[in-house]
Amino acid sequence: MDLFDTTQTALERAMSGTSARQAALAQNLANANTPGYQRKDVDFQGALRSALAGGKSAVERSSIQAVTDTSAALRADGSNVDPEREGAIIARAGLEHDALVSVANARNSILRAAMGIG
Amino acid sequence: MGIFDALDISASGLIAERTRMDVTSQNLANAQSSGYRRQDVVLREAGGGFANVLGKAIGASSSEAPGGGTNRGVEVAEVVTDQAEQRRVYDPGHPDADAQGYVRLPNVNAVSEMTDLISASRAYEANVTAMNTAKQMFSKTLEILR
Repeated sequence: MDLFDTTQTALERAMSGTSARQAALAQNLANANTPGYQRKDVDFQGALRSALAGGKSAVERSSIQAVTDTSAALRADGSNVDPEREGAIIARAGLEHDALVSVANARNSILRAAMGIG
Repeated sequence: MGIFDALDISASGLIAERTRMDVTSQNLANAQSSGYRRQDVVLREAGGGFANVLGKAIGASSSEAPGGGTNRGVEVAEVVTDQAEQRRVYDPGHPDADAQGYVRLPNVNAVSEMTDLISASRAYEANVTAMNTAKQMFSKTLEILR
């Protein structure tokens, strides 16, 4: 039995994912006025979900992938960035990250209590 | 991929939008300067240039974000001069008037400059919001260490 189990590793991986996602979304907003720019997003949930069945080492190696979104509606200048939409997704990614940190913190305090240093 | 990437990207967005505001102000300030032509800022995605293509070709991967995409923000590609026709105004007393008494006044339309200014200012605010969210995320992450 490891000190840090699969769930804790998955939480870490998901936090890396939300950080990468935040960078991609910031990139989209920075390029809100760049003609022809295609919005980017980061996909880590799908790979993480299937890796959870494979145990800790699979979770550690689960991919965090940048994807270019070509589905969103094009503007007249060829860009598909919608600042309002990006703002909403950024707020969501931030809250998801906060939730992950809270869960990780709760698990850490349980560990500390078990070690008698809580 | 460092944790401060998002902050650097938003900062590049702030610089780009600030440049747009500067150029728009320049156009408005010169709205009556004879001979002036309005200028326009061309933005492009940073990191997509020759150096990046070469880096990929020789297999450098340290600058790449997860999945191979590069997140480097935005940059000003160039500031171009608008070649649209200048206004010709009859003012024979003007020192810059031509033989027929016409002066070439700038092709600056104050209304469209003002809308550009609003667009740049809103985009600037959007980048500030993204920067604040990134900041909150990082400080929340630091709570794990407590």
